[in-house]
Amino acid sequence: MVELDFERRLERLFADAPELADAGPFAERVERRLDAGWTARRWLIGAAGVVGGVIGASQLMVSNMFQRVETAGDSARLLSNSFTSLGHLSSGADWVASLSSGGGVVWVAAGLAVVMMGFVLTRVIGEI
Amino acid sequence: MPGSRHSRFASLHDVELCSYSATGERRAFGELVRRHGSAVRGVLRRMGAQPAEADDVAQDAFLTAFERIAEFRGEGTFAAWVKKIAARLYLRRLQRDRRLGAMTAEAVEDEPEPSRADADAAIDLEEALKVLGPVERLCVTMCFGAGLSHSEAAEALNLPLGTVKSHVKRGLEKLRTRLAPEDGVVLEGRRGNG
Repeated sequence: MVELDFERRLERLFADAPELADAGPFAERVERRLDAGWTARRWLIGAAGVVGGVIGASQLMVSNMFQRVETAGDSARLLSNSFTSLGHLSSGADWVASLSSGGGVVWVAAGLAVVMMGFVLTRVIGEI
Repeated sequence: MPGSRHSRFASLHDVELCSYSATGERRAFGELVRRHGSAVRGVLRRMGAQPAEADDVAQDAFLTAFERIAEFRGEGTFAAWVKKIAARLYLRRLQRDRRLGAMTAEAVEDEPEPSRADADAAIDLEEALKVLGPVERLCVTMCFGAGLSHSEAAEALNLPLGTVKSHVKRGLEKLRTRLAPEDGVVLEGRRGNG
């Protein structure tokens, strides 16, 4: 019993830590480190997004994406013409044929992808 | 305005501040640091850390706590939770710097027993802890200051449970002689949390 009392007393003594004179500045230092970590994280995510975007765009260029779309568009137009000549219009073939208009659709899709990436990044930063 | 935000958080309970912190509100966490920073630094100093080192470890402990704030279930107090984190971080630092092994080796050497004349003097806990060996001091502070069980302390110190219990028992005996000389009762039992 005496022993338990002493242990409780000891716990109280440990709990009664004196307030240190520089408690305020210490807290500010911790807050600054938190802010610094936060800023660094935002820069890191932003940089990762930019690098990912650049890599994606360069892959599109390297893979001759636009040329392939042009070819696909030509093929679709040819197919569509064939159907027309046969008297059977195909809306699907017409749609694919519209891709032949200089790869504009791809640019629009790429723009939308960039905007979407921006939204996603914003959400990710907000979540972290 | 930062000042008004600080004052807004100053009126909140720790649990509410933890909730805000979990949403990434760093100013709310700053208020928790303001409230409990001294206690955490105090535990580290009592474990034997020099003030500058105690501050470094305490900062790291608070940053870790912020990262892991979602894990804090509110089962104990926030201060107790951070103290445990800080104690473990300090031990890890001791192990990394290979200081813990040296402390353990020193522990086999008998420290001078405090004289009765010393015990009669009014000595605060800080002074009383100085008569303990480094490992005794670590063990006692971890168990009574940071709230670790004997098992948790043994695991953190990488020492057998029995060894930790012995250190705690010896440490308590010495502290008792210093802090409560009027009792004059020798400790026989143990803290039943291991």
